[in-house]
Amino acid sequence: MQALTGFLTRFGRAMGGLVGTLYQAGRESVDQVWKNVLPFLAFVAVIVGIMNGTGLGTWIATALEPLASSVVGLIVLSLIIGLPVLSPLLGPGAVIAQIIGTLLGTLFANKTLPLSAALPALWAINPQVGCDFIPVGLALGEAEPETVEVGVPAVLFSRFITGPVAVLIGWVAAIGM
Amino acid sequence: MEFLVQLAEGFIGIFKAGADWWWAVFLGIVPLVIVLMTAFNAVVAWIGQERIESFGKFASQEGIIFLPFRYLLLPIVAVFVLTNPMAYTMGRFLPEKYKPAFYDSAVSFVHPPLGILPHVNPGELFVWAGIANGVQSAYGDTAMADLAVRYLLTGLVVILLRGIVTERITAFMWKKA
Repeated sequence: MQALTGFLTRFGRAMGGLVGTLYQAGRESVDQVWKNVLPFLAFVAVIVGIMNGTGLGTWIATALEPLASSVVGLIVLSLIIGLPVLSPLLGPGAVIAQIIGTLLGTLFANKTLPLSAALPALWAINPQVGCDFIPVGLALGEAEPETVEVGVPAVLFSRFITGPVAVLIGWVAAIGM
Repeated sequence: MEFLVQLAEGFIGIFKAGADWWWAVFLGIVPLVIVLMTAFNAVVAWIGQERIESFGKFASQEGIIFLPFRYLLLPIVAVFVLTNPMAYTMGRFLPEKYKPAFYDSAVSFVHPPLGILPHVNPGELFVWAGIANGVQSAYGDTAMADLAVRYLLTGLVVILLRGIVTERITAFMWKKA
């Protein structure tokens, strides 16, 4: 009898823990979507509305199309985004990347751009990632001030090289899509 | 009067276009993101943040053999378990000269998994979802899943490359400084 109650207690506790963790995970997810995803969605919806409703979007999309429809164009885009003076400005919240991504998304939605361009395009809007955050990121890793001094330009220069290379990797990896 | 009505219609039409976009993205992406995030938040809670510290110490060693640990496995584990921006705290186990390279590698991994592991960076979901949503509506669910997998896999190649390149550039700049 004692063994049985012992087992039941342990089983009950384990199940309780499992359910509790999942419930907490669900709460966190909904919180994050509510606080981070939905406001951004609303903000982009206004921009997309203005662009689609006024025809401005078609105009910008036509301007982006030659850049997005060839590897060379996407490499040019990644070089612009990865410029060591521009990338820290484009970094915060990845807002620019998210808007360009959404605009490019409308070009994929109406099949102006082929499916195979999607992967290199994802990499083309990527080179600025975290470039605004280098000192903070290094500080989180408990880096010395001298490391930050060398690290900031090192990462920025590196992006100017690896940004376009990432587009090429994406272009090769998109073969067969 | 008719002119005013037309004007009002055009004005509302702009926001109607935004609302249509909002609704399509909301239905297409948000429920999946919430469910995926809940599952992975629970997994992260079970793994526990303390448990990866010993792995961090192991992966942070010097030498060329540990290159794939420093700039591939450590960033993946850090981003998966600690998510953006706490992932960069794992840099504290590394020697100073490797910290910028680790940061570059880790921060470059906060977008590629978004199609499958949205919990790592929900605030910047649209770096992925902007393009992915367009791909999904034109080419279907399978194409989007294909894109998600390829984005994640190319991400592995790119973060390793960024780690190596930034490590070299840091070493070069350190000598000059």
